[in-house]
Amino acid sequence: METLVKQPATDQTTIRPLEKRLALQLAPDRLNAFFPLLQRGVTVPAIMGCSLRSLLCDQFAIPSDYVTDRITTIFINNRPLDDLDTTIIEDGLRVTLSAAMPGLVGATMRRGGFYAALRQGISHVGSNRQTADEMGVVRLKLFNLLLPELGPLILARGLLLEQDELDELLMRLPELSLHNPNGTGRTHLSATFGE
Amino acid sequence: MDKIARIDMGAAGGPKVTVGGLGDYAGLGGRAMTSLMVAAEVHPLAHPLGAENKLVISPGMLSGTTGSMTGRLSVGCKSPLTGTIKESNAGGQAAQVLARLGYAAVVLEGKPATDDIYKIYINKDGIQVIMDNSLKLMNNYPVIEKLRKEYGDKVAYMSIGSAGERKLLSASIACTDPELRPTRHCGRGGVGAVMGAKGIKAIILDDAGMKMRPPKDPEKYRDANRKFVEGLRKHPVTGEGLPAYGTNVLTNVLNEAGGYPTNNFKSGQFAKASDLSGETQAALEISRGGNATHGCHRGCVIQCSGIYNDKDGNYVTKQPEYETVWSHGGHCGISNLDTVAKLDYMDDNIGVDTIEMGVTIGVAMDAGLAEFGDDAGAIRLMEEVEKGTPLGRVLGSGAAITGKVFGVERVPVVKDQALPAYDPRAVQGIGVTYATTTQGADHTAGYAIATNILKVGGDVDPLKTEGQIELSRNLQIATAAIDSTGMCLFIAFAIMDQPETFQALLDMLGSFHGIEMTGDDVVALGKKVLSAERDFNTRAGFTKHHDRLPRFFYNEPIAPHNQTFMMKDEELDEVFNW
Ligand code: SF4
Repeated sequence: METLVKQPATDQTTIRPLEKRLALQLAPDRLNAFFPLLQRGVTVPAIMGCSLRSLLCDQFAIPSDYVTDRITTIFINNRPLDDLDTTIIEDGLRVTLSAAMPGLVGATMRRGGFYAALRQGISHVGSNRQTADEMGVVRLKLFNLLLPELGPLILARGLLLEQDELDELLMRLPELSLHNPNGTGRTHLSATFGE
Repeated sequence: MDKIARIDMGAAGGPKVTVGGLGDYAGLGGRAMTSLMVAAEVHPLAHPLGAENKLVISPGMLSGTTGSMTGRLSVGCKSPLTGTIKESNAGGQAAQVLARLGYAAVVLEGKPATDDIYKIYINKDGIQVIMDNSLKLMNNYPVIEKLRKEYGDKVAYMSIGSAGERKLLSASIACTDPELRPTRHCGRGGVGAVMGAKGIKAIILDDAGMKMRPPKDPEKYRDANRKFVEGLRKHPVTGEGLPAYGTNVLTNVLNEAGGYPTNNFKSGQFAKASDLSGETQAALEISRGGNATHGCHRGCVIQCSGIYNDKDGNYVTKQPEYETVWSHGGHCGISNLDTVAKLDYMDDNIGVDTIEMGVTIGVAMDAGLAEFGDDAGAIRLMEEVEKGTPLGRVLGSGAAITGKVFGVERVPVVKDQALPAYDPRAVQGIGVTYATTTQGADHTAGYAIATNILKVGGDVDPLKTEGQIELSRNLQIATAAIDSTGMCLFIAFAIMDQPETFQALLDMLGSFHGIEMTGDDVVALGKKVLSAERDFNTRAGFTKHHDRLPRFFYNEPIAPHNQTFMMKDEELDEVFNW
């Protein structure tokens, strides 16, 4: 069952354990309530077995020139990545996306950058391993400029929140008067932003 | 900038001012001026706090002009912290004003015979050195408040806090920002202790009646500056990332890379890093009526700084930078931005280097003086420094001394200067620069990432070890050159990525001096500075054995990558082999 909540909510709405889907429609200025979660990482359902480029462009529907020009720093399981095409998406993979960073270390972390050699010991090495294209999850983090720019897209597509993550989010959205007293397990949450 | 002022604090009968021409130092500014003068004039074995040492204060080559980003001030001397040559630079208004007053350098020399303290007032009519013992042991914020009553708000101030007067080895020199807050510091290497040893508490720079320095070719200069600013504005780092989040935007990224030294370099990741991130900090600042985008001097178009308020909207400090948030935050297991901001304010007020002080507190935590993550304990240790207790004097003398006094083995220093916020086990190439810089561990020594354009020493293959050595060398050369121009190092990204922006910088330098500047000229300048610094250090007794990281980086693998520092000594020795 899906609970659709429009802001501002007039009545208090309680999520019951069986109501595992929550769709929010919020004012644009509430997007930043999601930033703490998004920078710490959220669980996003996705089809496994494709390349990272395909995950970003085809599944997340991020324009390919944005991926090329704007997402200049990527980490896979804490390892800075250079090649989007040789990284195959597997269940539980940690994917972190960032814009270009300042300083030498920022340049060092940059995808395919001139200074990538300075961190070669920790760089992500791609694989050609084939995996079945079944559903799974990735742990996605967004940093800096990508928070406001990609946040709406990821949130509209939906993510899976553990109970404590949902509780924290609802505290940041007090105007919804939502609380989750008996919540257990994961909630599929999506959010759109508009007037 | 056609004159050099020398102030002999040890002259018979009291301080004596001599103003002369540029002589051998013609055309120099910033780090080129400070390092070449110290190398030529200071005895390499001089005691850093003695009469033989000199404190050279120099605006950059383009400071005092209408050019953007040109407000860095360099201070040089023999460092009491490292024993090496030292150049430490800061933003704020001082460089612009000193340059407009026409001084390429102000040099503090000698040593006063008494413990009186002095202030120096410089305006268009000359230089006065005035005894003012009413300022004794005041900290930076109150001292500036007091001086403003006397000299007003249309001047720039430089000052030392109580740490400088006590000659603590982490003491800094503060420069006021456009709001006249003492927030921009020549922090590294204990330069404030040298100013304290000269008996100088404050310098008041008053450029009333002075004009902007005129370029030789004004039209070309204006055009080059316009292109330079356009380049900075259109680049995602200098035009968007730094203005929005400041340098602290690096916290999340370094933590993700496993290169964020945590709990005194015991781990490469901090579980609560996102509580400290630039993203979190900027949102908090804005929600409290502060400002996440602010320039440390007029003419800065990047504006990486900001204003940090408390929850009631009252000013606490300027936006703490990445290195500060790390040193007082993750390095000490502290995740509360309000605690970090309070410590940043205390650093600025007492007048100590935020990196050295934060790293020292982490070392003290390893010694059991407080627990990691103990916010109140960290503040209590800073209060010891503020009061000048014996413990405070040990802590204020930096991580190396604190480690020795308390028997700590894991002390992250090179040449006794604390490492900044990047673990060299995760980013090995950075370790090369930390180990070999002439300045002691310093992240800005190899910061100017323009080497692929400069092609210093030809093309290198960065995927080979030799390539990493070559890169570190080239980075250090490019940085030494940019540190001489008065330009803020944060221009580096835009000039690396956009050849036309680098060309605009060369055109600014060339049209100002009425010459053609090429990348080769920049390289030659950088090499000249580094060679002089290296030569001074050699004469001061430093050998290749000092160009090493502490052993724990070689012996203790760090999570999450479980790597040690693997560069060989012979490879490190190649950095200065040109
Ligand atoms: S970019 Fe930052 S450090 Fe550089 S001049 Fe501007 S405010 Fe100062």
